[in-house]
Amino acid sequence: MSGVELVALSVHVGKKALVSDVSLVIEAGTWCTVVGPNGAGKTTLVETIAGLRRPSSGSVSIGDVSVADMSDRERARTVALVPQHPVVPDGMTVYDYVALGRIAYHGLFRPPSVADRRIVESVLERLTLGEFRDRDVATLSGGERQRMVLGRAFAQSTMVIVLDEPITGLDLRHQMELLELLKSEVADCGLTVVATLHDLTLAGQFADRLVLLDRGEVVLDGPAGVVVRSGELASRYGMNLRVVDVDGADVVVPVRH
Amino acid sequence: MGVVAGLCVVGLGVAVVVGLVVGPTSIGTWRVVGSAFAHVGLGHSTLTSLQSTIVWQLRAPRMVLGLLAGAMLAVAGGTYQGVFRNPLADPYLLGVAAGAGLGATFAIVNVGNGVGTPSWTPLLAFVGAMAAVIVTWLIGGRSSRSGAATLILAGVAVSSLLTSAQTFLQQQSTGSIARVYIWLLGSLASASWHSVWMVLPYVAVCVVVCVAAGRALDVMSVGEEESRSLGVPVRQVRIAVIAASSLGTAAVVSAVGLIGFVGIIVPHIVRLLVGTSYRRILPISVLFGAAFLVLADTIARTVLAPSELPLGVVTALVGAPVFVLILSLRRPVAV
Repeated sequence: MSGVELVALSVHVGKKALVSDVSLVIEAGTWCTVVGPNGAGKTTLVETIAGLRRPSSGSVSIGDVSVADMSDRERARTVALVPQHPVVPDGMTVYDYVALGRIAYHGLFRPPSVADRRIVESVLERLTLGEFRDRDVATLSGGERQRMVLGRAFAQSTMVIVLDEPITGLDLRHQMELLELLKSEVADCGLTVVATLHDLTLAGQFADRLVLLDRGEVVLDGPAGVVVRSGELASRYGMNLRVVDVDGADVVVPVRH
Repeated sequence: MGVVAGLCVVGLGVAVVVGLVVGPTSIGTWRVVGSAFAHVGLGHSTLTSLQSTIVWQLRAPRMVLGLLAGAMLAVAGGTYQGVFRNPLADPYLLGVAAGAGLGATFAIVNVGNGVGTPSWTPLLAFVGAMAAVIVTWLIGGRSSRSGAATLILAGVAVSSLLTSAQTFLQQQSTGSIARVYIWLLGSLASASWHSVWMVLPYVAVCVVVCVAAGRALDVMSVGEEESRSLGVPVRQVRIAVIAASSLGTAAVVSAVGLIGFVGIIVPHIVRLLVGTSYRRILPISVLFGAAFLVLADTIARTVLAPSELPLGVVTALVGAPVFVLILSLRRPVAV
């Protein structure tokens, strides 16, 4: 199974440790969200899982294969990344953008195969992007754009998707829609999701498990309900947090001193 | 795309005929065409031996060299714009021009003792160009995490240094300044079949590599990190296309000097016509650049005949207004 395993993972830039000594086993077909204050090392952690950064020590493996040992193409067929600030190339159509996800399959010198195109079509349909297929990517709204970036990741047909703040800048409805879409992929297709989120309420509602990161170290790791309700969360953010039960969902509310 | 490609092929055909037919010595179009057929064993040439020499030893190699130079400079410019994701990138970005200029000036000033332009000027220009690119690469392109911007800045630094060295050399020998300038401004006047055969292998290989990289450059329009996450070996692709563009440009520059503007203007015109995909921009730029340079050269050698305008002057004089016109008719450039 394509679970994700981090063993004593550290990432340094110069002498500064951005991530230090993180060990995690993320079961296949589950959703793990990394939370923590700004500068905690969340982005570094997910970029390392996606193979864009090399570990200074320790390792990341997916399905028992070390990510660092994979070729670029192998890696792109194993783990997809939805970056925090995706580059939106002017003049490209939505179809072509989503089809970028198939590059790791048909390669740089051959056109997409029939199978590749069929997968792109099914992704467009699943993400209700069909009506936008010929639109210039630069003309999409924030919600449509983010769905398109997710579409490119889906087109990579990987068992693991890593998302860095995927709902930043989206309105509430689009935030929920995007996370629901991912959740259904986890439930239906056994997708493994590793995400970072700032919204603790949504983080708690969608993840099977929360990992609290601070200064590059794992402070707390457990079921969402437990982590959200721990005093550690408030103290790491350095503020008053209240957890309110609304119809069985934990809502995390900041309270002024 | 199909229409534009068709028009470019027609334009290329026109450029080939114009390059052979137009000149100070008037020779009828059909007689030139007939002579061309005679070369492949169809019918008989009606040209006198002098006319035949003018067409096949002067105009033909000049036309072919123009095609090669135009195709190479245009595709190199388009490739650089793609790989650096920078609309201002041109084939001389990484120091090719400055290096070639220094090499050529050294040859003209020292080796020729200030008299004439020595026959191995192209060789020294080629060596200078490649040395400049290699130094730029060593400074800016080695570290795996240094981005494209570092390489561009290294190119700027190397170019400035070599240009000042070139100016220093040039000013030391006032007798040869004119010849240095003629070389720097670019010209196809010294074209011969020998120079065609010198340049052809480089251009053929480098054009193929650049055009083949179209799909990779399309992916890389989402930036380095995302391209890597999509499975593109960004570093290898970058090394391959920069090497091809630089090598091809160096070969062309060594034969024809510094022809400006083609590398920046042709890919942008093509982009405005066929959209932002490099799979279309690069092959069309090859055709467009080839036709454009031969037609520009025809103007260069006829307007002030028997003397010649520098080719770089014509490419800018014709290219800039056309570019501005298209730019004002279409939406802003995007790379």
